[in-house]
Amino acid sequence: MPWAKADEFMDLKERFPELEALELKNTTSIHIKKENLIELLKELKNRGYKLFIDHSVVDLKDILEKEKDFKNAVKENLIAFPEDRLSRFQAFYTLYNVDEKKRVIVKTRTDGTLPSIEKLWFAGKWAEREAYDMFGIEYEGHENLVRAFMWDTYPYFPLRKDFPLEGIPEQDLPSLNEVLWGDKLEGTMNYQRQHTIVPTLEDLEITEKRRLKKKAQIVLNWGPLHPGTHGTMWFLFDLEGERIVQTDVILGQLHRGVEKLAENEMYNQFLVYTDRMDYLSALCSNQAWVVAIERMLGIEEDVPEKAKYIRTMMSELQRINSHLLWLGTYALDLGALTVFLYAFKEREKIMDILEGITGARLTISYPRVGGVRMDLPEGALEVIRAFIKRFPKELGDWERILTRNRIWLRRNKEVGVISPEDAYFYGVTGPVIRGSGIPYDMRKLEPYDAYPEVEFDIPVGDIGDCYDRYLVRIEEMKQSVRIIEQCLNKLEKMPKDAPFFAEVPKEKKIKLTIDGIGLKVPTGEIYSSGENPRGELGFYVFSMGGVKPYRVKVRPPSYYNLCIYPHLMKDRVIADAVTILASIDPVVGETDR
Amino acid sequence: MESVIAGLIIAVIKILVILGIVLGVGAYLTWVERKVAAHIQRRPGPMVVGWHGLLQPLADGVKLITKEDLFPRYGNKFLYNLAIVLALVPATLVFAVVPFGPEFELFGYKIKPILTDVNVGLLLVFGLGSLAVYAIAIAGWASNSKYPLIGSMRKAGIIISYEVAITFAVMGPLILAGTLSTYEIVQRQIEQNLWYIWVQPIGFVVFLFSLLAETGRVPFDIQEAEAELVTGFTVEYGGMKFGLFPLVEWYVEVLSLSAIAVVLFFGGWSPINIPFLGFVDPLFFLGPFSPYVWFLLKVTALFLFILWLHWTLPRYRIDQITEIAWKVMLPLALINIVLTAIIAPIVWR
Repeated sequence: MPWAKADEFMDLKERFPELEALELKNTTSIHIKKENLIELLKELKNRGYKLFIDHSVVDLKDILEKEKDFKNAVKENLIAFPEDRLSRFQAFYTLYNVDEKKRVIVKTRTDGTLPSIEKLWFAGKWAEREAYDMFGIEYEGHENLVRAFMWDTYPYFPLRKDFPLEGIPEQDLPSLNEVLWGDKLEGTMNYQRQHTIVPTLEDLEITEKRRLKKKAQIVLNWGPLHPGTHGTMWFLFDLEGERIVQTDVILGQLHRGVEKLAENEMYNQFLVYTDRMDYLSALCSNQAWVVAIERMLGIEEDVPEKAKYIRTMMSELQRINSHLLWLGTYALDLGALTVFLYAFKEREKIMDILEGITGARLTISYPRVGGVRMDLPEGALEVIRAFIKRFPKELGDWERILTRNRIWLRRNKEVGVISPEDAYFYGVTGPVIRGSGIPYDMRKLEPYDAYPEVEFDIPVGDIGDCYDRYLVRIEEMKQSVRIIEQCLNKLEKMPKDAPFFAEVPKEKKIKLTIDGIGLKVPTGEIYSSGENPRGELGFYVFSMGGVKPYRVKVRPPSYYNLCIYPHLMKDRVIADAVTILASIDPVVGETDR
Repeated sequence: MESVIAGLIIAVIKILVILGIVLGVGAYLTWVERKVAAHIQRRPGPMVVGWHGLLQPLADGVKLITKEDLFPRYGNKFLYNLAIVLALVPATLVFAVVPFGPEFELFGYKIKPILTDVNVGLLLVFGLGSLAVYAIAIAGWASNSKYPLIGSMRKAGIIISYEVAITFAVMGPLILAGTLSTYEIVQRQIEQNLWYIWVQPIGFVVFLFSLLAETGRVPFDIQEAEAELVTGFTVEYGGMKFGLFPLVEWYVEVLSLSAIAVVLFFGGWSPINIPFLGFVDPLFFLGPFSPYVWFLLKVTALFLFILWLHWTLPRYRIDQITEIAWKVMLPLALINIVLTAIIAPIVWR
């Protein structure tokens, strides 16, 4: 497991006497007082922990109030400085050492204020905005602390434990029928007229004004409903002619509070929400979640080989599917409409294959904690084999239209260059960081399922412009085909009645069923991530035992990939806005969650 | 007196025929384009309305005409409507100087199948072509919206750049023909036994680029750029007012400029040319209709070529387009003029 050893931080004790470094069951964490937090993070950054993965907050209110839970958590060393019973929040920072391939979590306690890490990692700035939005943590030294998802006049902090799941119904929102005809529905047809508050136009105007101080000629509202934004993102461009002086993003049009829902759902029930986060790569997200829970339960070894290979094969199919949609829309944004339709034709075939195997096309929920939902149907392997035999030829055809095309080169070369330093500073992952020449791929660094047993290469780019990211994604599709082929060879040799769901040995005392009802996860925490088509999708799960997690923090790759966008857009023209955005390839379901 | 009346009647008939053909064909070219695009993209295209969707343009027209006429708040209504007129009229007027075939005699009257064979025909073409920029700039301004404004400014930038290139590009054929009259240019090509494309390949390429840029076809369709500007300067237009802009830009203008290209470089209505030797006419059995068919064939081939480009290539960025105009196309056109001046005596003989 790629976690740092506690010993290597022992020498830091001289500088920070209160520091504790602990190796837990699944993670390694450093506890530090918040006064020394910035100094420690700076030191860690110098030691090679260059890549910022994630930061958020756990609201410990419920634990601090219940003595039994508190003792339990202290026993498992989940809480930093347990003697401090007043500080309500525990902040965590996940960092990654790229050269030595290890991870560490830094934890600190706070009662509502934290120092800002925006000077160390820009991505931290966005993470802090999210924590401010959801928990109301005030960050000292944050340049522009505005809400990440909710509108700026929203009075509550939804992820706090005292905010009810269903929201606070306080606004009277009658239906049109009621207003016009005085419709009084009775009995079961009756519904609540009281709803949670919705933003008014003034609220949105205030939100917009807070984002951007107009410097140049026009502020162009690019979105939320705009074909170039690939979803409901709201960009503000401050334009000088066609040149963009400054950019900001208003997110939250698709915010559904997935993390809040996770705290109130069972582990397998949350699986369906992972579908709806990155809706273009549902299977990969499912896999990442399922693997995280399996690691937490310690049953990774018990999952049958067949299930592992099926999951790997399916998520690689999903990766091709997702990259096809990216290729199609990317080409469409640059004006090559025909490639879009070609790509969608192949994508349709993958969708049909997925539908035949899992029964769903978009929100799939096929993997389960401990295996997959059902066995492969008759003939599935033949269909997939036929597809991957034809697919490389099609891909070659599209490449002939685009890759060496002079117009394509001129639109993509030297546009949106991300240097390796920038990649670390902005915390980008996935094809975006690989485009900059850093072979950061969870499938190799922290292999899960059948990835350690299959052969594949990680394509990396040269200078990190849009063209490199394009080439990386194209090559990734070819590598996916390679992985699928190996999985097929393996699966064809397996007997038909091989198990596809784990049989957990009795002594582990885990009640594991396909529907996942009543699955209890022991007290503990884990950060586990999978390689989504868009980057590293991580789940920080904080469990107090029982059937529901206490806190789930999703590390959305699109959210952190998007945070580099305003930087890349500086001094570019509007035509590059679509190029760069499409080459970053965000999915709004995931940025907003 | 009699000849004046006859001339008037002939002129009216010509106008009606040309208008009917241009606008009718223009509408039906939408169907052609959709079919061509569909087959390039491996799909059938319109199939429901009529046989292979042949009635689709009518259905589209009815739909567009019956739509609600929306007008943006705080827009300028007069300019908003003027833009449509300014777009449609000059584009159609260009056909006044397009010669469709050789002179023929009917009831003792000599008739040239060209509306007005003015001796400055080409100047008229480019004069009218430049007017398109007003239509678009006005449309962008009158809409009182940011996206149309950006789109129209882009288009204005392109047209200004490429007007220069296209004017220098046609200079070559002009030197060789020694006249500005479109009818005469074709006549000279027939007399000299030479399509000017054989000695003017550079001129033709520059002309083709400028044609694509002026009509807003891919790879120069940045004023539409549906991914960035939605549809550019037509965002605030609705119904048939919206439909007219693409009709004019993508079909009528492409058609007129293709016809001019055929006149300048492909010998108008003349059959296949063997340089300096003569003409071979595989369509001789059509008799007097052969020239018209040839003219039609050439324009169609050029139009299909433009469609092919449109549905294959990505699009350039605005700065790259203007850069190509000033740094590549204009020098090329100037070199072409010098070369033409050197070879001109060989052609004149």
